[in-house]
Amino acid sequence: MTLRRTLLICSAAALAASAFPAVAQDWPERPVRILVSFPPGGSSDLVARLLAEHLGERLGQPFIVENRPGAGGTVAALALKDASPDGHSFMLSNLTPFSIAPTLFPDAGYDPITDFTHVSYIGGVHLALFAGAELGITTLDDLIAGAMAAPGELDYGTSGVGSWGHIVSARFGAITDTEMEHIPYQGSGPMQLDLRAGVIGLSFDAVPQNLPLVNEGVAIPLAVSSPERLETLPDVPTFLEAGLDLVAENWLGFSAPGGLDPAIAAKLDETLTDIMTLPEITAQFDNWGIVRVPMNGAAFAAFVADQYSAWAPMVEAAR
Amino acid sequence: MELLGNLALGFAAATTVEMLTVCFVGVLLGTFVGVLPGIGPLAAVAMLLPVSFHLPAEAALILLAGVYYGAEYGGSTASILLNIPGTPSASVTALDGFPMAQKGRAGVALVLTAIASFVGGIVGVIVMALLSPALAGFALRFGPAEYFAVMVLGLVAATVVGGRGIVRGLAMVFLGLLLGTIGVDVNSGATRFTGGIPDLRDGISLVVVAMGLFGVSEVIASIRGNTRHKVSQPLNWRSLMPNRDDWSRVPGPALRGSAVGSFFGTLPGAGQTVASFVGYAVEKRISRNKDQFGHGAVEGVVVPESANNAAAQTAFIPTLTLGIPGSTTMALMLGALMIHGITPGPRLIADHPSLFWGLVASFVIGNLMLLVLNIPLVGLWARILRVPHAMLYPIVAVLICIGVYSLRLNLFDVWLTLGFGLLGYAMRLWRFEPAPLLIGFVLGPMIEEYFRRAMLLSRGDPLVFIERPGSATLLAIALILLVLAALQPKKLLLRLLKSA
Repeated sequence: MTLRRTLLICSAAALAASAFPAVAQDWPERPVRILVSFPPGGSSDLVARLLAEHLGERLGQPFIVENRPGAGGTVAALALKDASPDGHSFMLSNLTPFSIAPTLFPDAGYDPITDFTHVSYIGGVHLALFAGAELGITTLDDLIAGAMAAPGELDYGTSGVGSWGHIVSARFGAITDTEMEHIPYQGSGPMQLDLRAGVIGLSFDAVPQNLPLVNEGVAIPLAVSSPERLETLPDVPTFLEAGLDLVAENWLGFSAPGGLDPAIAAKLDETLTDIMTLPEITAQFDNWGIVRVPMNGAAFAAFVADQYSAWAPMVEAAR
Repeated sequence: MELLGNLALGFAAATTVEMLTVCFVGVLLGTFVGVLPGIGPLAAVAMLLPVSFHLPAEAALILLAGVYYGAEYGGSTASILLNIPGTPSASVTALDGFPMAQKGRAGVALVLTAIASFVGGIVGVIVMALLSPALAGFALRFGPAEYFAVMVLGLVAATVVGGRGIVRGLAMVFLGLLLGTIGVDVNSGATRFTGGIPDLRDGISLVVVAMGLFGVSEVIASIRGNTRHKVSQPLNWRSLMPNRDDWSRVPGPALRGSAVGSFFGTLPGAGQTVASFVGYAVEKRISRNKDQFGHGAVEGVVVPESANNAAAQTAFIPTLTLGIPGSTTMALMLGALMIHGITPGPRLIADHPSLFWGLVASFVIGNLMLLVLNIPLVGLWARILRVPHAMLYPIVAVLICIGVYSLRLNLFDVWLTLGFGLLGYAMRLWRFEPAPLLIGFVLGPMIEEYFRRAMLLSRGDPLVFIERPGSATLLAIALILLVLAALQPKKLLLRLLKSA
């Protein structure tokens, strides 16, 4: 055997040893990073920061939030895909990069299912169709009738082209056979301002951040996208009740690069599930309108795959 | 008086030992991150956010807010000393602050900056205390057409920033506008001018452009020894202090700058950078010392600093009373409130009076602290100029890289900043000003977004900009400014008199 070959074999062995996943007992051995696909400050970012504090306390290593916003969350997802599956890189996974972006940007560069290990479910928020107070419409039927009578007259906002609000709105238009003008915004904040001011009459937006507007009487929720009525808006019917096949949840979870040691995944899922029962966490989640149904790690992985295939045709239709 | 009662409540809430401590820590840290080029309040506020979970809501907000407006004080220091703005909004301050330093008046410029910042901060707080509820309503009456009009006005006003002729200024404004179109189009979702580079999909960050054009280009120039050479700064206390002529040129510009800044601060998204540019442009139009602008005019330092500090305070009005954050840093502060179960909105002042008025009181206290903190520091900062360039500039370059990288943890941004540094250096060689480029870059995307939104809402009818009185008035002012700039009536008059 030549020296060169010996060296090659040795280095290959060293490489294999270093790539060998950390054993679950030792995990975590060093600080763990959580990639967040939003800039700091939004509610999803806060979820990550809050959970990071508790995870750090329980698992004995700091959990550090790294904001990698950009390109519909694909920047963060790509960074996660390229990270080592050694249990020290996770992402606060959510609807946009895993259910919408891969269809919206066919060149996104990752497969939302096979390139990742989807570890744990955190919860989700639903969206609603809101009408501004000045519009004078208070029920979904009135809206559909109004939109039928004057196609293209009504304006509705979403938090951006390719946002879940936009995709749901396109689906709404298709199944109700109505036509309204889409006014895209950059995020929910400026859109809320214009809904309040009556610049736009309607918006498709996540429920929690609009609850203050509802309480003030500035925004009237016409229907919600949850499978059942929401605790926070018990009087508002679902789209399903109105006979419209429209369910949409912006889910949040923890995901890792593909090939994560199942023992580490199980340990993280257990710890998170435990944290999520703390009264201070449940109170905070209620406050943010994050709805949680029990779901274990395996069920969550199936859920992500399910969501991806459910959203793909809707995204295609909205393009 | 209800206001006095509210203020009493606020001061009672803000003068406990704990609140004073967090306020001091906040403004101190803010000054520090403001001084460091590239590292801005966003990084500091993000790092402090977890700390704020463990504080009461009032203390958390006072701390984070202190970092935010403290950074506006510090941002001008490097502008004046090194021609490298610490924050994008301090870019304008370099136009006259750096020439002052080159004349050996760095200390004077820093003292005036601290005072102008204080005036701006206090005016901003007064506006906030008196007008918050009314101004919230005002922002609501500002539809897309009015936003478009005010941004156009800002752009027209800002073309006179920089002193190398209107054609060169306009060329740079247009280059800025073009750079602003890079990234996803808000209305169609199509990516534009990214050359297929995914990192450009969200456009170029303002910090990248500002730090590249102003900061890196200055570092490059220093390698060639191309910085107009070092001037020894007198360090005795007397020569640090402004003289009588300087003082006489402070009050008017400071108040005008504060007024402009207070206005732009209340518009979500417009922010401090636009405020300081427009303030400078307005002052340059009306000042008697017009010719000195760009060569170390006192007004050229006072106006932008009073404007960006006033805007930093009034930016809290839309954030707190409408729940609309004007910037990512503001979004973080909203986040700190949300963690404590407080939802910003029109009911915030009524539901949480001690939070709102405590914050207002802490602004007054914080601005006083900053004034007291900054004036003794002037001597120290002025000494920085004695550090050999061979040591100082590499440190600055490293700080810029760290600051830019910390924005999105993206190495691409660092390379892009270096690219803008080369562009800035080339512009310097061919005598183009970077300031008009920056303002075009800031305003371009907003002008486009609001213009297209207004046109979408009017179904393509451009009359919407003339039919609405607000936008019609603003556009008329912009047109008059443009005509005046093009015709230069004083020169015309002089020519007529001569020929007669």
